[in-house]
Amino acid sequence: MPITTTRRRLLAGSAAALALPAFARAQGAIKPRLTAISQWSAGSDGAAITALGKKFDEKGGIWQHSPVPGFTTEMMNKLRAQIMAGDPPACSQLKGPEIAAWSKIAPTVDLDAVVAAAGYEKVVAPDLAKLHKPGGKWIALPLQIYSTNMLFLSKRAMDKAKADKIPVTWAEFNDLAEKMKAGGVPYPIANGGTRPDDGQKFEAALAGISPTAYRAAIMNLDKKALEGPEIKAAFVQVRKIADWMDPNVGAQHFSTNLKRFVDGDMGMMIMGGWAQGVLRNAGFKFDDFIIAPGPSDNSKPVFLLNADAFIFWQRKEPDLQAGQTLMAQLVMDPAIQTMYSQITGSIPVRTDVDLSGEGWSDGQRRTATALKDAIASNQAVLSLAHNMAQENGMTAAMIDVITEYVKNKTIKPEQAVTRLAEAVEGAR
Amino acid sequence: MNIAISTRPGRSATFDLVRRLPEYLTIWVPLLLSAAHLIAFSLWTIWISFTPSTLVPVSGWVGLRNYSAVAASRNWQIALDNLLLFGSAFVLLSLATGLILAILLDQRIRGENLLRSIFLYPLAVSFVVTGTVWSWLLNPGLGIQKLVHDLGWTSFRFDWLIDRDMAIWTIVIAAIWQSSGFAMALFLAGLRSVDADLIKAAQIDGAGPIRMYRRVILPTLWPITITVIVIQLQFAISTFDLVRALTNGGPGIATQLPALVVYDLMFQRSLLGRGAAAAVLMLLILLAVLLPYAAWRYVQRRQAIHA
Repeated sequence: MPITTTRRRLLAGSAAALALPAFARAQGAIKPRLTAISQWSAGSDGAAITALGKKFDEKGGIWQHSPVPGFTTEMMNKLRAQIMAGDPPACSQLKGPEIAAWSKIAPTVDLDAVVAAAGYEKVVAPDLAKLHKPGGKWIALPLQIYSTNMLFLSKRAMDKAKADKIPVTWAEFNDLAEKMKAGGVPYPIANGGTRPDDGQKFEAALAGISPTAYRAAIMNLDKKALEGPEIKAAFVQVRKIADWMDPNVGAQHFSTNLKRFVDGDMGMMIMGGWAQGVLRNAGFKFDDFIIAPGPSDNSKPVFLLNADAFIFWQRKEPDLQAGQTLMAQLVMDPAIQTMYSQITGSIPVRTDVDLSGEGWSDGQRRTATALKDAIASNQAVLSLAHNMAQENGMTAAMIDVITEYVKNKTIKPEQAVTRLAEAVEGAR
Repeated sequence: MNIAISTRPGRSATFDLVRRLPEYLTIWVPLLLSAAHLIAFSLWTIWISFTPSTLVPVSGWVGLRNYSAVAASRNWQIALDNLLLFGSAFVLLSLATGLILAILLDQRIRGENLLRSIFLYPLAVSFVVTGTVWSWLLNPGLGIQKLVHDLGWTSFRFDWLIDRDMAIWTIVIAAIWQSSGFAMALFLAGLRSVDADLIKAAQIDGAGPIRMYRRVILPTLWPITITVIVIQLQFAISTFDLVRALTNGGPGIATQLPALVVYDLMFQRSLLGRGAAAAVLMLLILLAVLLPYAAWRYVQRRQAIHA
């Protein structure tokens, strides 16, 4: 009995100690509360957001996350329904130009003060920052970054090709692919065949050939740039990549081929940084593959940005408002970003986080360095295939052309250029 | 009963109504609710198709602009061509397969129940499962082609799934596998209900089995045939999950179908107005099938009454 009493007292004491700072911060009775929706329910994504929620609770908040598993579109349907019912979540997952589009249908929270207090703007890539402040004010915050054009090399395929140099330009990439083919690697490229996968091949090709042309044509939809020689060159490169792939991939997911990739039956893969997590989850070791920035003809890394983010919707309830402030502070916190990225395999949004410590992989370190270098040389651009460069309607119209081109080898590169320009005009 | 009611005039009607109230409630309330739902949402969709709605429904009037944008899009044109090919091939082939299966089962064979269950079983499987399983079977690197290669016939090619000209046929194959059992069941019921006297009369006249089917039995089946055609056609027009799981509209956009285009416009491209216009166009295609059928049924009934 005496033991129980002590334990109970101890519990009560520690609970009070934990609760005290929270009360002090909330100035009295208001306990910060956050209603959030996202599609992250399982795997490392689910684990990461659960960990974030736990941190939120530890700071004295009430974390109310309702995951909508499945495709992003299903999460958006739920968000749309809630907004139309006049009951938006305090914050929700949303990314890229969709932030600007959605912010027109319901009022959002002005986060300028919190962002300024954290000195956040100077540590975020400029193009990325712009997406999250569509009207000049911060209304959303990026959470983590992936590059969509990382180059994955199979160690065994490299051995077969007797190569040890990581290709830097597209010419070197093509040489290596030829060498692999000659060395007995049946399919030098290991990608899948889904729409975003086809889109990634194109964006990696174009951005690697000319980041300037990519910015003008894909991000700014400049008519002249869309018909420029770089676009044609990119389509030529995409056809080469497609020819080196197993024709049987059809519409398969890239992960279907990972075993053949590691075994050296396939050589290289142009995929987002998330593939590292998929490879690791499938039981493969870091020695099985090399991760490097995607090919870039001017030898300086090109970074195709893909960033998950949270948008904050206006609510009248004081506890939700307090929750939004707390959430914003957490999302910008380097420690939280470190925790999040270490779970998912992404890299932090902040460019000032030190990745030399334990818990980070070489791939993540290389990705972070690539981002820093790319920002310095103005070669960090927004991904088309992952809905960062354009709104969904425009993206889909462009990917239609690209995916058809990848699958239909009778379409000539110059025809593809015309079709892409037409698709853009049609979707404007 | 009649006598009992007539002795108490005036109460009978009310009494009857009260007694049968639960029946009326169970039938009419859900019926009216679902009819109201159907009509209200159809009207709502039609209205949206004339507005400039994108992310969320908004009011406004853009006339036929959404319709012309949809009709001019490559996706929709490919979807219509595919629908024509898929719809006719699927209906004819599933009809033929179903009829042949039904005739074979009709030969008073042993194990008929078991065989019938086997042929009907695919109908119980969801289209997503059918699509996924067939996407493995038909994948040249995993399925049938690989099997034949491994058996030694290495020049064998069966790569329709990744051939953009033939990919639509893989959907036909999977759809026939799924639903010819349904046609078979209806045909079998029809075959069994043919008047035995007719068959006997034909036998006495010396008709052989083939002649018997062609001249006597099959002609009595044509009302069932029309029912099967209509049901299969409306399935073909609204096919969504099967394609989504099997090819997802690919390779490229080669196997687009109207329902995929509607979903894509509404939810992936966030173009509600255009998506609604595509949905209304689908509804019109459906009506083009269903209205003649309804008219035919009406004429049939009139004739039956007059006879």
